[in-house]
Amino acid sequence: MTLQTSDLRPQISEKTALLEARGLTRRFGGLMAVNNVSFSVQEGEIFGLIGPNGAGKTTLFNLMTGLTPVSSGTLALNGETLTGLPPFKIATRGLGRTFQNIRLFKELSALENVKIGQHTQTSSGLWSGIFSSGRARAEEKQVEKKAWELLELTGLADRAGESAGNFSYGDQRRLEIARALALEPKILLLDEPAAGMNTGEKGALTEFIRGVRNQFDLTVLIIEHHVPLVMNLCDRIAVLNFGELIALGEPHQVQRDPKVIEAYLGA
Amino acid sequence: MLEFVNTYGFLLVTLVQSALLGLSLYFPLSAGQLSLASPGFYSLGGYIAAILGTNPGLAGLRDALGWWVYPLAWLVAAVFAGILALVIGLPVLRLRGIYLALATIAFVEVLRILTLNLTITGGAIGLTGIPQYFSTPFGYMAAFLPLLLLTLIFAYKLERSRTGRAIRAIREDELAADAMGIHPMYFKVLTFVLGATLAGMVGAMSAPFLNTWNPNQGTFDASINYLAFVLIGGSRSIWGAVLGGILLTALPEILRPLKDFRLILNGLVLVVSSIYLPQGIVGLFQRRTPKKVVRGARVEVAK
Repeated sequence: MTLQTSDLRPQISEKTALLEARGLTRRFGGLMAVNNVSFSVQEGEIFGLIGPNGAGKTTLFNLMTGLTPVSSGTLALNGETLTGLPPFKIATRGLGRTFQNIRLFKELSALENVKIGQHTQTSSGLWSGIFSSGRARAEEKQVEKKAWELLELTGLADRAGESAGNFSYGDQRRLEIARALALEPKILLLDEPAAGMNTGEKGALTEFIRGVRNQFDLTVLIIEHHVPLVMNLCDRIAVLNFGELIALGEPHQVQRDPKVIEAYLGA
Repeated sequence: MLEFVNTYGFLLVTLVQSALLGLSLYFPLSAGQLSLASPGFYSLGGYIAAILGTNPGLAGLRDALGWWVYPLAWLVAAVFAGILALVIGLPVLRLRGIYLALATIAFVEVLRILTLNLTITGGAIGLTGIPQYFSTPFGYMAAFLPLLLLTLIFAYKLERSRTGRAIRAIREDELAADAMGIHPMYFKVLTFVLGATLAGMVGAMSAPFLNTWNPNQGTFDASINYLAFVLIGGSRSIWGAVLGGILLTALPEILRPLKDFRLILNGLVLVVSSIYLPQGIVGLFQRRTPKKVVRGARVEVAK
């Protein structure tokens, strides 16, 4: 029943793979939203995920972060299986993400959004918070400091006290990245970070993503529709169509792949 | 002054009691969980205090402890309510929104029917002649007021802690909180247990104060009342629950000179405030401009 798509296996598996997906599959009733997708992501890579609308890109992200349970297949980070874990545990293991349809804590301030992102990096419990134990206070100071640093990095520090919901689309997307970075993730998953941004903002975003990758030693997975941005930014690109992986390789290879041209550009 | 206290002592204590019960509903609501279970735990706490105070089998304990039976009842009620909340919360808090509300109403009903039929709870008559620990109703302020202050301090500190942030995150967007590494079930159950423990303690304090305890202490009506405290007061702040509890309990008394019209006016106040004050009464006092936060300043909490 399940097809072996060994020909689509990434070619560079001899290098250390940080993240390894094997046969990830998700069925919604009769619909194969994600069908037997396998790939591996190298450490430090910026890995693009493109495909037409409804190709299953976001579903793939949801499978990877545990928000949608897989029908079959596995995902491993440094050889440790992530599939089957609840989202909060996957986040703790080092997968930080943003959402296509922005899911900030809209009524809370920008500063607080980024503070919440540091949940996995801190540990003080109920009672040490209630009694303001020395450790809890030290931790709070640290959380505050790092939140400001991340806001500064994303250029939102001067509006730290404003509710996240009042921010422009582009600023909300950047705030979401700041919140995800607060987790100190190993892998940052960005779901259409450039959506709703103007051309200038998109250019700045490319530089910004490269910058944080270098600064935080990140590996980045990015879903993006804007082709020039993806081609320019990504080290490798995977192309999904109707839930299946139809191409995987460096941008210039993918760009010339006839299957990609047919699926993505031809229509 | 003394005359005022003698006349209104009972009402004044009831105001504080209502504020506490509003808070017991506010805790789960602060994590976005619409739980109406508080009257169940309140009833349970009251029965524990009533049984400790009247059950013939426990006469020896009462003789040995004297007045200390009262605080012992608070403690036992808190522990029982907390454990029961944990057992019930784990399955029930998987439900969301209105389904959670229904399940918690069902819990209150089950407990009411149980107490209506058990011998140890005195059936429909309930338990009467619960020993008094203070000579006047107003004396019970010595139990209720410190509990209210402690609860407010607790809630205030909680809001400013890591745990409080996680709770707010779940209220705002449970799925996003989950993706940020926050265990939603843990914090939802935590707030449910906190609310239940508080309601249990308030019940244990209330049984001697009211002198009798019967199945009507924990009813669906009470659930809706406590919910009204929080919603009318303001569901996004600890002060909302307190203010709502005090105002909605005082209002029917203040309107007493209006005789039969008071219920109409009381209802009108509820309707008007729920239409025109979506943020509750405390919403009137909240600033509309964003708070200026300054780097290095004290930790600020939005809303």
